[in-house]
Amino acid sequence: MIYGASTFIWASPFGDDQLHLAKHVADLGFDVLEICVEDPDRITADALGAAAEEAGVKVSVCGAFGPDRDVSHDDADRREQGIDYIKLCVDLAEAVGSPHVAGPMYSSTGKTRLLPEDERKQQREWAAESLREVADYAGERGVKLAIEPLNRFETDLVNTVEQGLELCELIDRDNAGLLLDTFHLNIEEKDVGSAIRAAGNRVFHFHACENDRGAPGSGHVEWDDVFAALGDIGFDQQTVIESFTPEIQEIARAVSMWRPVAESSDQLAADGLAFLRSGVGVRG
Amino acid sequence: MSSFRYAYNALVYYGEDIAQSVERVARYGYDAIELPGEPAAFETARIRAAVADAGIGVSSICSIYTDERDLAHPEPAKRAEALEYVREVADFASAVGAPTMIIAPTACMKTAPLAEQGDEWKWAVEGIRAGGEYAASVGVNLTLECWNRYETYFLNRLEQAARMWKETGLENGGVMGDTFHMNIEEGSIADAITQTGSLLNHVHIADSNRAAPGKGHIDFEPILQALADVNYDGYLSFELLPPSADPFGVMRAGGHTAFLDEYTESAINELKAVESRLVGAPG
Repeated sequence: MIYGASTFIWASPFGDDQLHLAKHVADLGFDVLEICVEDPDRITADALGAAAEEAGVKVSVCGAFGPDRDVSHDDADRREQGIDYIKLCVDLAEAVGSPHVAGPMYSSTGKTRLLPEDERKQQREWAAESLREVADYAGERGVKLAIEPLNRFETDLVNTVEQGLELCELIDRDNAGLLLDTFHLNIEEKDVGSAIRAAGNRVFHFHACENDRGAPGSGHVEWDDVFAALGDIGFDQQTVIESFTPEIQEIARAVSMWRPVAESSDQLAADGLAFLRSGVGVRG
Repeated sequence: MSSFRYAYNALVYYGEDIAQSVERVARYGYDAIELPGEPAAFETARIRAAVADAGIGVSSICSIYTDERDLAHPEPAKRAEALEYVREVADFASAVGAPTMIIAPTACMKTAPLAEQGDEWKWAVEGIRAGGEYAASVGVNLTLECWNRYETYFLNRLEQAARMWKETGLENGGVMGDTFHMNIEEGSIADAITQTGSLLNHVHIADSNRAAPGKGHIDFEPILQALADVNYDGYLSFELLPPSADPFGVMRAGGHTAFLDEYTESAINELKAVESRLVGAPG
């Protein structure tokens, strides 16, 4: 298993001024630095690639989906804007060697409208149509799309693995799969292990997060079950710890983190990594 | 062996006639019904008659804290409005024989403070204390509720609620846990119950996805064991809601049929089955 840490644990927005995080996560023992493309203008592909190479870590590229990046919007121009953004993330992924672009790319995060079924269907179709175009673009560049279901409080479009798989089927491209995150799985799935198994080889990327977004192992996520399920599906891609620093108000509000869930960012990352490594050794 | 007492929160029956709600809850073996804190929506005489006929009680009033009912609001007039609501709910609880009413420091779904948080905390403590003193005068206890991070920035964990409750200095009440919220916020639901101990005076039960126990992945056995071990003698009240950031919108559109007969029946059966496996006598 290849383990990574998200830059959100320390900083937001990520940019060239945060490239020291590549060496920092390497020093903590991680194999992967996951960066989130909040503001593309802050990130230079060459500089990021060089920093990662020097630190000896791989890069995972994640998207951030604000209102201007909505591929299922009613307005075709707005959808186009969203498509352009994900393509830009694909270009970055190709340039820095990320196997994927990951994230809840089917909509703008935070849209929790109550749509009648016919409108919801229309949204899914727009999402599928847009993401098919992006998947084709990404496929030509050897990049996969890892689509992330979010819990009910963050989106109304894709909450469960089942809904994620339906969307993948609609997209109908081999390089369109899922990013599963244990924080969201814990809220939405009837059985976390079964959900991972149902997703099977469509799991392209994985986020290991505790139920309160603290260090994996510090809460009540049933990790034995998670590891066993990942073993059963032969998952061999990146597993990334994602949490958010409560010290930066904008990101804390965006993800509703109102209290520190660890003593420090470094402690969260170090404890989480030690737990994940021991977990796989013992159980996997 | 004594056993837990069970209630079902009529919040998810959404606008149904009270007689029908009471009849359903009684039919499936509940000891009581929990009612939404909207005194204007009910005739207390009809409630009293319905529960008396059915041979059950009213466990508690589930207050609804909207932006107009915000005890931590920076404007004194708004806080006074919220306190007035708390008094109305206390009167309602007293009139229908409910021993307990829920209190919260601020509006549900308010996810950003309007003032310095230390000030909001102080106003909330003052409001809860004043509301609690009034509730005591009409024979009602308060229970202080936590919600998950998407519903409030204020109290997410039982330890936070316990701290706030102690600051009020009130003796008529305590704090409550809701397993749906606790699944998101607590490191261990059972440990949080153990640590809260005798301060815990009300519990909402829902599975991890807010459906009936058994429909999600929460293991209720260690939770009920922890409740038995702290000699919990309040109600286990099922607060089940549809899977949405706006459950009321789903119910308005009629998307809650499973929460009527189906979950009312399965929720109590599931927990009684768990209860039968516990070590020692609860209650």
